[in-house]
Amino acid sequence: MIRLVRSELLKLRTTPGPWVVLAVTLLLTALGVVLSFLFQKSAHHVEFLAPTTTYRLRQLVGAGITVGGEWMAAILGILCVTGEFRHKVMTTTLLAEPRRWRLVVAKSAASVLWSVYYSVASLAMVAALGIPLLVAEHGSTTALWHQVRPVVPGLFGSFALIALLGVGMGTLLKNQIAAVVVILATSFIIEPILVGVLPEVGRWLPGAAAAAVSGHLARPEFRSYLLSWWLGAIVLAAWGLVPVVVGYFTTFSRDVT
Amino acid sequence: MRAGGAAPGIEVAGLSKRFGAVRAITDLEFRVEPGRITGFLGPNGAGKTTTLRILLGLVDATAGRATIGGRRYRQIPRPLHEVGALLESTSFHPARRARDHLRVVARAGRIDRSRVGAVLELVGLREVAKRRVGGFSMGMRQRLGLATALLGDPGVLVLDEPANGLDPQGMAWLRELLRYFANEGRTVLVSSHLLAEMSQTIDDVVIISEGRLRATGPLSTLTGQVRSSVRVRTPDAERLVDLLRPRFGAIRRLASDLISVEGASPEQIGPLLAEHRIVIYELVSQQTDLESVFLSITGSAPGAPGTDAARGQGAQAPPVPATGWTESPPS
Repeated sequence: MIRLVRSELLKLRTTPGPWVVLAVTLLLTALGVVLSFLFQKSAHHVEFLAPTTTYRLRQLVGAGITVGGEWMAAILGILCVTGEFRHKVMTTTLLAEPRRWRLVVAKSAASVLWSVYYSVASLAMVAALGIPLLVAEHGSTTALWHQVRPVVPGLFGSFALIALLGVGMGTLLKNQIAAVVVILATSFIIEPILVGVLPEVGRWLPGAAAAAVSGHLARPEFRSYLLSWWLGAIVLAAWGLVPVVVGYFTTFSRDVT
Repeated sequence: MRAGGAAPGIEVAGLSKRFGAVRAITDLEFRVEPGRITGFLGPNGAGKTTTLRILLGLVDATAGRATIGGRRYRQIPRPLHEVGALLESTSFHPARRARDHLRVVARAGRIDRSRVGAVLELVGLREVAKRRVGGFSMGMRQRLGLATALLGDPGVLVLDEPANGLDPQGMAWLRELLRYFANEGRTVLVSSHLLAEMSQTIDDVVIISEGRLRATGPLSTLTGQVRSSVRVRTPDAERLVDLLRPRFGAIRRLASDLISVEGASPEQIGPLLAEHRIVIYELVSQQTDLESVFLSITGSAPGAPGTDAARGQGAQAPPVPATGWTESPPS
């Protein structure tokens, strides 16, 4: 199984897609870093200031997530699965490993591992851009350091589980574009609407579950609405695993012609 | 003999496949022996690719079995070490480099990475190993596909239309390669519609059409079963046909001045022509080759007009216009 995961990792590494998504993740994180320095003083007045409150310092540490960078992990998961269908390389893949469930497991594992790269890259961007900005604006790096521990586990968890969600969507839909559109439309358009209309249902959706996993980043007044972090993790994992399993019995069990 | 000992054979028994209401193949039965090159032939849409895909565990059979050394493909623990396959639609990620493609497959198939360089050398792609596959010609892709098939040094080779896209040198190289593998005791099953190329290469044939087995056995036995024929070009074709009809069975009018007489020899026709003072422009004995065997068995031309078979092989193809062969009933 390990060599199969390594093969999947090599597959991702040797195509441009995952690297492009990594670049977008870095850009989004950079945007998040800058946003964490902006203060709305009044309706027409925004100032650039070092964050000082716990909430704002956490926003800086988790800058990769505050602008939705974790959804890039979903795109990675989608690429990992749908690339096989889009470029018709599934035949070669299945000749090397005809037991298809192993392939699905390897793809899930490889996507989760790549999500770790994205998390690390996002934290590296915070260090590279956020710390110099913080120093320049006379902010406290010690205060920032205190917020690393509460934020980082949720950041890694969020990226990883959303990568799994991407694998699920890719497995279910097979079509790269469709899977990306569905996952982004659901989390950025449909879900916010549902959360507003039916909050009791909304908290069980993938986006809210992801927010619960990275719960320390949420606005304090929003936190009571979210599931606890561990329940959020279970719910989000289920959102990924159920389509993976359904997709295995449909998409992956079909004849490859 | 290759290092791994005798290679396993391929066995197909009672194999059937339906796609919805369409019967792709019906009750197919044949064996492929080690140490020989077996040509898997049939017109387009005969079910060749479906059969090979079932054999390789990519498509599930509706009934029957297709096994390699007695095992289904999915039951083979390290399949790439035993079976190397090149399928017609074998495709590559266009942005991946040739060498990386092979490294990915080697990892997944538990093959030592030193084999990557070895197969690139073998198929003559070492120079372009670091280039992206998207920029490869059809022939280079075909070579890369072959390199992929050979990666695990398998005892069984299953190749679907391997000659597609190869230039004449590439074709000659492929023939030598297949012969070399067969001589080493490996099992080689190769499908093709390029009959002129195949007849120079194969030992055994499996011929299918409309999803059913039409013939199987050594090529020499099969060509012996099909009667030879004589082609005559004459301005007096009407009279000659009337004259020959009582004496010979199958007479075909290939053109207004061209007829073909099956089961006849020039020695039989010549004296008749002299006796009845019929002017001729041409009297040709037709060799019994793979193409005529194929046509008489399947009742159709192997490649539609415009395919490689029709376009590229004119010079080497037997001088029988395929359009004239319409009477042969399928056996």
